[in-house]
Amino acid sequence: MDRVIGLIAANFETRGMGELTEDRTIGSLPYGGNYRVIDFPLSNMVNSGINTIGLITPYKYRSIIDHVGAGKAWDLDRKNGGLFVLPGSVFGVHSENSHFLLRDIRRNVIYLERSPAPYILVTAANVISHMDYRPLIMEHIRSGADITMAYNTCDRDEPHRLGVNVENGRVTAFKPNPLKYEDAMLDTFVISRDLLMKIIEWYSAIDYLDFFEAIEGDLDKMDIRAWKYEGYARQMFTSRDYFEYSMEVLNLDVAGELFSRERPISTKAAESAPAKYLDGAKVRNSMVASGSVIEGEVDHSILFRGVKIGKGAVVRNSIIMQKAVIEPGAVVENVILDKSQTVKAGSVIKGTGDTTFIKA
Amino acid sequence: MANKKPFIAMLLAGGQGSRLGALTKHIAKPAVSFGGKYRIIDFALSNCANSHIDTVGVLTQYRPYLLNTYIGTGSSWDLDSHDGGVAILPPYATETGGQWYAGTADAIYQNLDYINLYDPDYVIILSGDHIYRMDYRKMLRTHIDNQADLTIAVMTVPWEEAPRLGILAADETGKIYDFEEKPKQPKSNLASMGIYIFSKKVLEDSLIADSRDPDSEHDFGKNIIPTLLSQGKRLFVHRFEGFWKDVGTIPSFHETSMDLLEAHPQFDIMAEDFPILTKDDSLPPHYVGPKGSVEHAFVGNGSIVLGQVEHSIISNGCTVGEGATVTDSILLPNVTVEKGAVVTRAIVGDGATVKAGAVFGSADTNVPIAVVGDDAVVE
Repeated sequence: MDRVIGLIAANFETRGMGELTEDRTIGSLPYGGNYRVIDFPLSNMVNSGINTIGLITPYKYRSIIDHVGAGKAWDLDRKNGGLFVLPGSVFGVHSENSHFLLRDIRRNVIYLERSPAPYILVTAANVISHMDYRPLIMEHIRSGADITMAYNTCDRDEPHRLGVNVENGRVTAFKPNPLKYEDAMLDTFVISRDLLMKIIEWYSAIDYLDFFEAIEGDLDKMDIRAWKYEGYARQMFTSRDYFEYSMEVLNLDVAGELFSRERPISTKAAESAPAKYLDGAKVRNSMVASGSVIEGEVDHSILFRGVKIGKGAVVRNSIIMQKAVIEPGAVVENVILDKSQTVKAGSVIKGTGDTTFIKA
Repeated sequence: MANKKPFIAMLLAGGQGSRLGALTKHIAKPAVSFGGKYRIIDFALSNCANSHIDTVGVLTQYRPYLLNTYIGTGSSWDLDSHDGGVAILPPYATETGGQWYAGTADAIYQNLDYINLYDPDYVIILSGDHIYRMDYRKMLRTHIDNQADLTIAVMTVPWEEAPRLGILAADETGKIYDFEEKPKQPKSNLASMGIYIFSKKVLEDSLIADSRDPDSEHDFGKNIIPTLLSQGKRLFVHRFEGFWKDVGTIPSFHETSMDLLEAHPQFDIMAEDFPILTKDDSLPPHYVGPKGSVEHAFVGNGSIVLGQVEHSIISNGCTVGEGATVTDSILLPNVTVEKGAVVTRAIVGDGATVKAGAVFGSADTNVPIAVVGDDAVVE
């Protein structure tokens, strides 16, 4: 796949995430007990043979740069190609539904100019999937389309995604607020480098234009095709999305697909011993990461690395991020607990799941 | 010419470890999995990293393929440096022919060129066979303070274990005056841990002399140390107090593994101030199903537990099916225990499968621990 370079837009509007993204971006949100959200598009690109990847980072970039570093975890610390961290912005996003700000791509146009690769795969940082991009790219090359966009069918109302009308394999219209059973973009598409450069040039006068807005008026003039993805895919916009989609990994079918040993999702390594279960440990229907020590009860929950569950403590329907401590006898229910937080012995926290985020 | 490195390590990782039977049929002993996600060699390599030794030669011979790919560039132990780093040193040929390493001393002798590349003042010789944490810088301090030619790390062992080990006698200053390899009637219970710091000149001279001795077995314990002692060289002990275990037999492998499961184990594999580093596969957290139960156990990433696990180590990437029970056992990585199978007091090799309904191992402590090797199938 020397003919394709990747571009990941991690500069997302994150108002729907509330406090979850106060200090981090969607891309650096902990997910699946071991990972960050950005690991999915990044690993999927590498696993699809794309070895030159530009990562447009948002304003709050510390956590994401800390995570990706030089790209070593994804074998992207290379002499040829590799990972390029590209500055982006979220200043003054005028529409809550902005997906790819042309301005941020334009700021980094030198990344596109330098590459000899004729095709660019663009994806959003907030898509959780185990997508193999190769069939999408092959289809794009085969058809000779201007742009080929991945989409799927919503299995619930997904008001933050961008709905799409597909007729005979062509994208004929975008529409906001897709409902259950309607089709929506997966914010993943292939475009030729030349065309992307042209679009940037055409619209250079308009500062905060979204890519989809830019091409919306030209849908009848351009050959824009749709490619349906049938695998598991979730796009996260709100804290409710985050909670619900996170919990879906407790379904073995979902976990089996996302974490398949073929084309594995990689993440920044952190050393910790296997999880340790002591006297009194009772764990049901839960995911537990390494380094955790469990002496209490855990049900329908996700424990990240190095979490401690004290004697007699109870954790239900919750996401406990790395190195959090639930002291003996404490009860935690329907809560997202931020990393390194401590729930004091004997205390009781009962939340409403998606919106109850406990942080420092 | 490389930059001078005052203190480098040579790690002997060529041993077959035949007493581990099925576990070392396809791989060298240092490559055997231990503690859920580690391999035995991780402990010595982590000690090097934690002792800030950045130049390590790893001597391989027996079935080295897995070990070679496992160590790779050494990046897992932060040993992938431009200056020094890890070097895999298998036997090699020269214009006068090549030969296998004839013994531990011969292995080092054949790699004197590698050592001289770094012009070290001191060389520490390690084996990749043991489970322990040790800051080698403290031992080097002992060596320098004593102006020793050779310093041997020692610990006191139960008298009944002494006949299996290299036994030393030292005076109150730590100077060694007697050494016996596997004595029938031990005079002391001070045992060599197989960790040696040599002043480089002494090492080189003694290895060259030994290489010319047709009667020598080219072994540090049997030849080099007794010769240096008889020559009146300055040999000192470095007393080590802490956990150190040779997991070279099935009972000791099993017992040492089971001890990790205690609330306050003798060897705390989780201690973060002196971390054990390993090559981390990208695996998701493990999953415990709605009917699963786990107590007194280690469970590694990527495992799926749908049955019952009690007092066991479930290494990375294992599956314990519904209704299966695993008790007092060690599942090495990627083991599948199918539905309803019963595994008791057993060690199940990497990638092995225990078929649905099979019974493997026995709770009867008079029966030896059941062992099955890599990729085996237990019906």
